Amino acid sequence: MTRTRKPGISRRSTLALMGAGAVTFAAPWVARAEAKTIKIGMPTILSGRVAQLGTSSRNAVMLEVEKVNAAGGLAGRQIEMVIRDSKGQPQEAARIARELVNTDGCEMLLDGEASSGSFAVHEVARDLGVLCIHTCSEASSLTADPKQHIPNAFRCVRQGIHDSIVGAGYAAGIAKAKGLKKWATCSPDYAYGRDTTGEFVLYLKKFAPDVEIISESWPKLFQPDYTEVVTKILQAKPQALYSCLWGGDLTSYIDQANIYALFTQMEVFAVNMADYTALTVVKNLPKGIHSGDRYIKTFPATPENAAWGDAYKAKYNEYPTNWSWQNATAVMFLNEAVKKANSTDGKKVAEVLTGLTIKCPFGADGTVTMRADDRTLVGYAIGWGTTIPQEPYVPDVKAGDWKTIFELEAEWKKSKGYT
Amino acid sequence: MTELRAGQGAQTLAPPRIEARPQRYRDVLIALAAFVVLALLPMMFGSKQLLDFVIRCAAYGLFATSLNLLVGYTGLISFGHGMFFGLGAYGFGLMMQKTGVPIPVAFLVTLAITCVIAVIIGAICVRLKEIYFAFVTLAFQMLIHSTILSWQSLTGGDQGLRGGIPRPPFLGIDLSNHLHLYITSCALLVIGLLLMRQIAQSPFGYTLRMIRDNATRASFIGIDVWRAKLVIFVLAALFAATGGMIMALFVSGAYPEFAYWTISGEGIFINMLGGVTTFLGPMVGTVLLLILNDTVTRLTEYHGIVLGVVILFFAIGLRKGLMDFVVEWFAQRRGEGRG
Repeated sequence: MTRTRKPGISRRSTLALMGAGAVTFAAPWVARAEAKTIKIGMPTILSGRVAQLGTSSRNAVMLEVEKVNAAGGLAGRQIEMVIRDSKGQPQEAARIARELVNTDGCEMLLDGEASSGSFAVHEVARDLGVLCIHTCSEASSLTADPKQHIPNAFRCVRQGIHDSIVGAGYAAGIAKAKGLKKWATCSPDYAYGRDTTGEFVLYLKKFAPDVEIISESWPKLFQPDYTEVVTKILQAKPQALYSCLWGGDLTSYIDQANIYALFTQMEVFAVNMADYTALTVVKNLPKGIHSGDRYIKTFPATPENAAWGDAYKAKYNEYPTNWSWQNATAVMFLNEAVKKANSTDGKKVAEVLTGLTIKCPFGADGTVTMRADDRTLVGYAIGWGTTIPQEPYVPDVKAGDWKTIFELEAEWKKSKGYT
Repeated sequence: MTELRAGQGAQTLAPPRIEARPQRYRDVLIALAAFVVLALLPMMFGSKQLLDFVIRCAAYGLFATSLNLLVGYTGLISFGHGMFFGLGAYGFGLMMQKTGVPIPVAFLVTLAITCVIAVIIGAICVRLKEIYFAFVTLAFQMLIHSTILSWQSLTGGDQGLRGGIPRPPFLGIDLSNHLHLYITSCALLVIGLLLMRQIAQSPFGYTLRMIRDNATRASFIGIDVWRAKLVIFVLAALFAATGGMIMALFVSGAYPEFAYWTISGEGIFINMLGGVTTFLGPMVGTVLLLILNDTVTRLTEYHGIVLGVVILFFAIGLRKGLMDFVVEWFAQRRGEGRG
């Protein structure tokens, strides 16, 4: 007997498709049934130009989660991380965040998004009321602006305004000592670049009133060729240059500026230089670039920080990034808050997190605090130093003073109409 | 360019008026049935993911189908259609944040603003042909994207519209309630598709097909080609803006990425995936792309490779969109049956 196969979808395929559909829609109930583990969702950027930072965030989170799980988990519940790629698109970040909570049964979110993506996830947290810790977005307005305040969202990230205050204080000291009066700036042409540069210049002039900005350059984000910018700066003949270019833009800029020997003709202050992703990629790292700390295992110079950096390197065969320590700190905060609340309930954990101080390898004094009034991270190690072409890259970092940061930040908030 | 032809208009230019009325009734009935099915979905499945999926389908579906009015029906391959998606999102978001007017007013004013901008941009672009049209639309899109990035005091720059979009209830509809948002999105999708279908099947729609096939000939028989192109450019922009407004409501914000060229690229990809010779091709393409995106990003971060392979399969393997393939396959089977 010969069997003929009719064209079209067979009954068996139809049943299989229906089964697959049923499994998809039943997923939330299955997820809830497995509540012994606690799922934490994390949208982040795992593809595209900043994929390296997203991957380093995931690595750091997994490093800390393994420690917490080995110690018994969060209130006895093992953590299961559900990490998805948003491609850096805010609409995808929002979709994934909603899906993580609504479908995958995640009870908390670690938001590993930058810039606009973090604001999109913030709106999801506002809508769903889920506990959310932003771990990558440095935009000050995310927590400074009272319109953004919701009781279930926190930010465990350094802030542009903090970097500007410390950087300007450091730069003003050098400007006075070396008589640097003519300055140029070169920063990416988008909100972060313009805001951070504006704030740096504001405080630089406050600390060193003689300073004058004689040239401004605003290259496009992800611009491949900086020749025009470099020659413009050289023609202006400034004594010092400030830049908040970052990542691939910064390394391309340095490689291209090296050809024109720019670094021998002026003092350069590049806030985002001291991150291993930039330090290890530049072909000929010039000596003496002034930079803010992003992540350096020698700052703060404590055995805990060095051990953490080494453990990360041993596990992933590369050094951590600025995003790494921030994500690791977020897991440390969660762990401590759950211990104190003796519960994994989002509301209770959020209450404990507000104003919580924990021991942390990345703290200026060995501790960091989730400031109560705006639910943002303070007390982390922040400082500036000068580069050398080999490890430890920035041997002597001068720490910023948090008392000054708090005073000037309060003034800045008032000037922006946030308080 | 044979792949980019809609409605089989290339072969037949049958006078549409004879069957226009019964077909219109049929379209309205199908639209009503589709709306009822969509409205019943939340009762049948409790999945919030499904609701999110349909809301996103509504946003992208309106956008992609409106793009097909240009690409498939008129032969205007726009690389900058995403600017209207972004304009819709920003216009609506800003109206709600800054003025506090009722949602229907913000909706209509956003459409009016989009209309004005589309008339200005369209008046310049539709004079151009083929690649020149494509690139000038892309240039305008980048101009609008750059304006959004630079005009920080109004748009929030690269951080987008912050603080959420307020949604005061109107006529008993509360769009901060997810179910209400879902039903409203479905209603906008169905009404939008129905309107676009009527445009495509109207004498004006057939004029567009004639312009696509032979603009000189259309001009010789007395059709004002420039005006017809401009009208469809503006109409398509209005539907794309409606898609943008749905997206703004879904994410409760508006971000520069909504007006970036990648959104236009996605629109073109959706049209390639679903096919441009059938009216529902882009809608099918939208569903396919979103399913692909959502499943593949769950499984791997190398989704770019998977989507690339799918594009190659459709572009080189099938050499047409899915709906084109299905329609041809059915026609072939029917032919064989009769034979």
